[in-house]
Amino acid sequence: MTRAEFIDRLKEGLVGLPTATANDIIADYQTHFDDGIAAGRTEAEVATALGDPIRLARELKAEAGIQRWHQEKNPSAAAAAVFAVLGLGALDILILLPLLMGVVGTVFGFFIAAIALFICGGVIMVAGPFAGFPGGPFAAILMGLGLMAGSVFIGALLAIFTIWLVNGIVWFARLHYRLLKPALESSPVQSTSTSGVSA
Amino acid sequence: MDINRRAEVPETIEIQLKKGVLGLCVLALLNRADSYAYEIASRLSDAIDMGEGTIYPLMRRMQSDGQVETYLVESSAGPSRKYYRLTEAGRGALAAQTAEWSAFTKAVDAVVANDADQGAAK
Repeated sequence: MTRAEFIDRLKEGLVGLPTATANDIIADYQTHFDDGIAAGRTEAEVATALGDPIRLARELKAEAGIQRWHQEKNPSAAAAAVFAVLGLGALDILILLPLLMGVVGTVFGFFIAAIALFICGGVIMVAGPFAGFPGGPFAAILMGLGLMAGSVFIGALLAIFTIWLVNGIVWFARLHYRLLKPALESSPVQSTSTSGVSA
Repeated sequence: MDINRRAEVPETIEIQLKKGVLGLCVLALLNRADSYAYEIASRLSDAIDMGEGTIYPLMRRMQSDGQVETYLVESSAGPSRKYYRLTEAGRGALAAQTAEWSAFTKAVDAVVANDADQGAAK
């Protein structure tokens, strides 16, 4: 594999990362090639020693996704981290996915329920005093407030659980990172392109 | 068949082992002197046969974990170079992991040496 091929494949693999991060990563590998060539190695030798660019890109992407999740705890960062980690192929998706779907579905259901409860509480608080709520208007307002507070509590618990869940997946995936081996038997693409160059 | 199974297992063990100690090796190298990625990669790939490219995801992870930090050094030729140095947290991690590692190797050594003695006695 030549330097250009390696960098191209790496770039392809990094699509989806913020441009600044991707450029930073690519600059690292460009420097690596510069250093290797300065040390008297050929481009092909350096590329071989570096390993498979596609697999490297996956690990770098997963790492960037995890880092973003640590910085900003929001749904999109969570989804990005989980998908990047799944992209590693480190987790056994066939086993994990049904399980994950079940858990995500349950959490989502609770979340909807919390929202419904909140709205319900609001309606009772506002409309109850005028609709002849048993126990008088004051009870209606208290009841509504109580329901709303309860739903906020459930929502907060769900958020904590979700954060814990994503952290757990990330932790599990990191345990299963595989050490890269030099991409010696990289692919038939490589052999055809090198023969094309030599011919 | 038994032989086949034996041939498979050491490879996974080898990969898992290397994966586990790679971070420790980087910490140890940086504790001796600040360094840049190419140097770290070439020293480690000589010592423990790994894909050199692995160093970059690892360095990013250690950086986001706060174990290392980077600074730029002007070089005589070409653009300035990115050096890594240990942070306080990095030194702490090195001490903890070194202790873990030597306890682990001692335990394994003891078991393996015992096994070898028995084999020799037979």
